[in-house]
Amino acid sequence: MLNSIWNRRSFIGRTAIGAGAVIGGSTAIELLSTTRVWAAAEGTDGDILNFALTLEYIEATFYERGNAAGLITDAREKDIFATIQKDEEAHVQALTDTLNKLGVAPVAKPTITFPAATFASRESYLKLAIVFENTGVGAYLGQAGSITNKDILQAAAGIFGVEARHAALIGVISGATPEGGIYKGATETPIAKGDVLAAVMPFLGGMPNTGFAPAKQSVNLLPAGLAIGGAAAALVAFRTRGSRTPQL
Amino acid sequence: MNQDPFEGRPVIQFASEKDRRAFLKYAALVGVGGSLVSALPISNVFAAASPTPSPSGSPSPSGSPNPSGSGTSQFGAGDIGILNYALTLEYLESEFYQKGLAANILGDDAKYVTPVAAHEAAHVAALTATLNKLGATPATKPTFVFPPTTFTDKATFLKTAVIFEETGVKAYHGQVVLIKDAAILGAAASIAGVESRHAAVLNYLTQTPPVPNPVEQHATADETLAAIKPFLGA
Repeated sequence: MLNSIWNRRSFIGRTAIGAGAVIGGSTAIELLSTTRVWAAAEGTDGDILNFALTLEYIEATFYERGNAAGLITDAREKDIFATIQKDEEAHVQALTDTLNKLGVAPVAKPTITFPAATFASRESYLKLAIVFENTGVGAYLGQAGSITNKDILQAAAGIFGVEARHAALIGVISGATPEGGIYKGATETPIAKGDVLAAVMPFLGGMPNTGFAPAKQSVNLLPAGLAIGGAAAALVAFRTRGSRTPQL
Repeated sequence: MNQDPFEGRPVIQFASEKDRRAFLKYAALVGVGGSLVSALPISNVFAAASPTPSPSGSPSPSGSPNPSGSGTSQFGAGDIGILNYALTLEYLESEFYQKGLAANILGDDAKYVTPVAAHEAAHVAALTATLNKLGATPATKPTFVFPPTTFTDKATFLKTAVIFEETGVKAYHGQVVLIKDAAILGAAASIAGVESRHAAVLNYLTQTPPVPNPVEQHATADETLAAIKPFLGA
């Protein structure tokens, strides 16, 4: 079954979010002082938490499998990856508990699949790890303006910052270029919920009962070596919701 | 690495690497006494130090779990005060990195620090531009003083950088729930994430735990300003 999903045909609608969303200093100034697109309110706080929970499930599972594969051998790097795994697991737990306290049913853990090549080498593991972390950073930031409960906002922001730490560390461990690899410019870039979902949908072997809005554009955050297609690509052909553009 | 850049003065006390399993005790993001963060060591330290709202007496925004966030009122009302508070911190960071790079003490690690310096300068410019756009007066740059060996000893510089970055992260997170305008919130958060990246990299370079907690902690403006006071000159 994995093989049928994870064949290597090229991916439709590949965009540059994963590879090229580097914001330089001068751009950052524009971002802050002119118009910036923020995600429209995309549901209740419960919806946002369930969205985040789905992402955290994917991340936690990713590190559980990757770390178990023994691809990271340096003691210090191993320690960092163990910490990252624990962080993602803690995020899953925290989001689940919070949803329960809100009286909102947490989404069930989806069936999560990764391309066979993902855990074949240190390089492929690091490559996808950096994509997941940067996607997580953008995903949380994309929801910043939509969260209404202040406690949840505080906590979600707190998780967001930790995902940014993870992204930077994996960049360092990967030997990535400082600007553009470890750092993504002077400001982080939000990613709309629809785009995030489109990007992670290929990893969801079973569609969870999320009620997520479909996305308009298909977006590929996968590194080139991990391109996917076929049935997974079909899942990605969704529509995204509109965005509002508040003036600063 | 044994040098103390603050000459024995307590600048800010950071939580030690905490047991992540303990986090699970406070795992729910709401409903455990206001927030999970209140259960963490750093907040306890601060809670003991400043149990009441700031002396300015300005009321905290309703619904805020961070009642002592009004320390920014000395910089202006509401979001303007928060932006000017952030600008003041960015001035400090920006000058610090500018001087550090100019001192040419970082060797190979300069490649990691050079972008950080550029980011902090961009933050200063962006916050200034935003304040101007809002019709507010940007805070003027204070005169900063740094301990003597800050720019002559690489280890001291990097250690100080870690402290500034961790302080900056906590400072932004302390304002997250107080910012009223959604666009300003988004912009501030987008800067905060970059400060987190800086903190992680600098911790890595100094062999300190790069992700001390599974969730970023936060500090009030009063706490942060007290922490940076040693660097404020006449």
